[in-house]
Amino acid sequence: MRSLQREPGLLLALLAVIVLVGIFIVYPQVRVIATPGTGYIDFLTGGSWVKATLNSLQVMALSTTSAVILGFVFAYAMVYTPMPWKPFFRLVGILPLLSPPFVVAAAYVILFGPRGLITYGIFGQTISVFGLSGIWGVQTIAFFPFAYQLIADVLSRSDARLEQAARNLGAGPWHVFRTVTLPLSRPGLGAAILTTAIYVLEDFGNPALIGGTFTVLPVLAYGQLSGFGDVQGATAISTLLLALALALYFAKIRLDGGRSFVTVSGRASSMPRPPVPAALTWSCFVACLLLSGLILLVYGSLLVSALTLNFPTNFTFTTKHFEYITSGTNGTALQNTLVFGLAAAAFSAAFAILAGWLVQRVAFRGARVLDLLLIMPAAIPGLFFGIGYATAFNEPWLDWLDRGVLIIIAMIFWNIPVGYQAAVAGLRQIDKSMDEAATSLGASSLRGFRDILLPMLGGSLRVGFVTTFVRAVTTLSVVIFLFTPASTVATIRIYQLVNDLNFGAATAFTVADIGMAIAALSVIAVLARGRVALGAARA
Amino acid sequence: MGIDRAYDRRTFLKFAGATAAIAACGGASTASPSPTTAAATATATAAPVTGTISVYSALNESTNNEFFGAFKKAYPGVTVNVLPLAAAGELQTRIRTEKASPKADIFIGGSSEFHDPLGKEGLLEAYIAPNAKDIDAKFKEATGLWTGWYTGIFGFISNNDRLAKEIGGKKPTTWDDLLDSAWKGKLVLPSPVTTGGGYIFIATQIFRFGGGATGETKAMAFMKSLHANVAQYVPTSPGALTLIDQGQFVGCPNWAHDILTEKSKGNPIDLTIPTDTGFEVGAVSIVKGTKSLAAAQALVNWSITKEAGDLNVKLSNRGSTRTDVAPAAGSPKLSDVKLVNYDRQWATDNKDRIIKLWQSTVGL
Repeated sequence: MRSLQREPGLLLALLAVIVLVGIFIVYPQVRVIATPGTGYIDFLTGGSWVKATLNSLQVMALSTTSAVILGFVFAYAMVYTPMPWKPFFRLVGILPLLSPPFVVAAAYVILFGPRGLITYGIFGQTISVFGLSGIWGVQTIAFFPFAYQLIADVLSRSDARLEQAARNLGAGPWHVFRTVTLPLSRPGLGAAILTTAIYVLEDFGNPALIGGTFTVLPVLAYGQLSGFGDVQGATAISTLLLALALALYFAKIRLDGGRSFVTVSGRASSMPRPPVPAALTWSCFVACLLLSGLILLVYGSLLVSALTLNFPTNFTFTTKHFEYITSGTNGTALQNTLVFGLAAAAFSAAFAILAGWLVQRVAFRGARVLDLLLIMPAAIPGLFFGIGYATAFNEPWLDWLDRGVLIIIAMIFWNIPVGYQAAVAGLRQIDKSMDEAATSLGASSLRGFRDILLPMLGGSLRVGFVTTFVRAVTTLSVVIFLFTPASTVATIRIYQLVNDLNFGAATAFTVADIGMAIAALSVIAVLARGRVALGAARA
Repeated sequence: MGIDRAYDRRTFLKFAGATAAIAACGGASTASPSPTTAAATATATAAPVTGTISVYSALNESTNNEFFGAFKKAYPGVTVNVLPLAAAGELQTRIRTEKASPKADIFIGGSSEFHDPLGKEGLLEAYIAPNAKDIDAKFKEATGLWTGWYTGIFGFISNNDRLAKEIGGKKPTTWDDLLDSAWKGKLVLPSPVTTGGGYIFIATQIFRFGGGATGETKAMAFMKSLHANVAQYVPTSPGALTLIDQGQFVGCPNWAHDILTEKSKGNPIDLTIPTDTGFEVGAVSIVKGTKSLAAAQALVNWSITKEAGDLNVKLSNRGSTRTDVAPAAGSPKLSDVKLVNYDRQWATDNKDRIIKLWQSTVGL
């Protein structure tokens, strides 16, 4: 409460955040839930949700555990060890985030299906990727990068001096890891587990394509919507997903307790981290190499498909798929994807940091509610986020609003959670005395935020930007009810080509989409190099 | 100097952010075709019908371009903005959610089951096209809410190599053949929940067993036995074809025209049509609230010309609801295959109930 009354700027910022969250996160959902009908009761009495809920929880537990473990190993290896090939691993670690729906799951089927090129072609096995084990495996690879990004951000900010001190006092590397490193990375770990679990819960594409007869909640919801046109029943499932996410959220709060994770209490330390045993470095290297190999295999197969006539039955080289995707309106789709993604990422990351700071540092009533609302979008399946926008903002008096802008707004708010989580996790590591020093010297809270905290939160900003960007350029579900011919995007085209059984062109489009995204991220990384905080988080 | 550089970059990033935002607004608005200029050039040729229509199309990618290109040639005064999404269920949902301010003028493609409910909800504009006189009553809605312009027959795709090795090369001649335990775990089916084809497959079984309550009971018993052999209910019909092309699974009931298209690409698969099969009627309808009614009506009327029928047969291997349009080479004619007595209105009206009955029967 220290300055809300005294600082009109702060009050204004807070009000702006609350109003925006109200209009763009809460209102569309309320509109969807308020759709008239009897769907809720039919759905609850139907009982099909019980099995799907149990399935969802089972998959969530399995995939989250494995994804967070992989993410931690990857992050630890990148931040703590001097292993070689780090730029390569950094790039590969982002690839799974760049997975337009359907195509990547289809690639898994081609490689690991009952007649997969690897499983059957090389090993002669007919084990199937379809079903629970398939979802588990694919989701682990698909979601570990979220955990990796969040954990790496926190690890890179933890103070090396504490570890050096522990080592100097005689603790072994394992002891230091267990009693210093691991506990200090708890905010990041908590955020990683929460985010990964929610994204796994919400995942539709992978279970739909390789779930076999194993049904999870989002698949059930999609069927309700697409098959029965039952918005109510589908919303009931969406609400159930939200409730599950809510439970996770409260569990995380309980686990965190009121503990402090402050590690940045003064000048950033220039002390190097204590050396890691060579054996550990090399085991980390091998683990990262294996994981990267698997990822490259999947994405490599997309490239091969894009350059061959009819993958995987005809491997004749061709450029016709790439010629096709650069013709007609396809170029517009790629251009829109880039523009929408960059705009959404920039605004989303900035908004997330500001909101994170307000919730974490400025005491006001209802901070907990705002905190929850900012995490909620992660638990709303993209389909419902899109439907919410299509319902709430498709009014005659809003027809002047460009659909491209609406899509950008949807992407900003749907992707807030990761950037926001990163900001909160980051702020919890920075001692309050830092910004209080500024305010007691006469600076306003906002100025303290801008000049003191923001430069130290570059890593969190980067996490928010990167995840929003990659999710924006790869989402189908959010845009499917919003796009117009003029505001079509790459994922829509890819979905269309997959349904048209033109897998070659679909993969070519995917390769172009991913290539464009990587190019954009690289340019931004180059532009941002030299900025201290960003550099630190680059591990 | 180091500080200066960092500061420079920060300023630069600020500018970059602003430019991106401007590009976002500018890019989106410049990307949209300017209807006024397009319409102006078109009226110069003095065609009777003018206007701009937005078409929600569930047709294939390849069909869209040529089909609407041909329409524009016939009606140069009409500008067509196609929103292509080969998923009729999503288009149906879009039309529903947009009812406060409709963005579509035409909904084309997808079986009539996707159009009929929209008509009942008052979201479609009735129009009995002059050319509809050439179309049999069973292919159109009586009051003109939707008009059927193409037909598709339900067939069976099998992977040649695996069929020969694992099933003894025996293609199913009846749907009951699929209950053989040799098919266990080797069949896939388009999901009855999310695909039109999957539902038509169940409805076909009901009519095959004589319809009514008895037909339903027997069909559910059949679907339950079949479930034991099904490895997956695939969310889209084309997705199921891909799995058979690759030999991931051995066979799948699916659309004959799409199977033929896959075969023509050189995939090691074959089409067979078991007796007592069903078929779809692909529809076109006008969305209520259209501001270009004349142009929308022109498109509906043109879709059921012989010219449009011939073109669609060539592009998609589908049949036409017109009797004077010949089917594609190698493709079955509706009159040559043994069809069940498919009561489309009953199938449409009971769709939700039957699918839910099926879900509880197989435990999904």
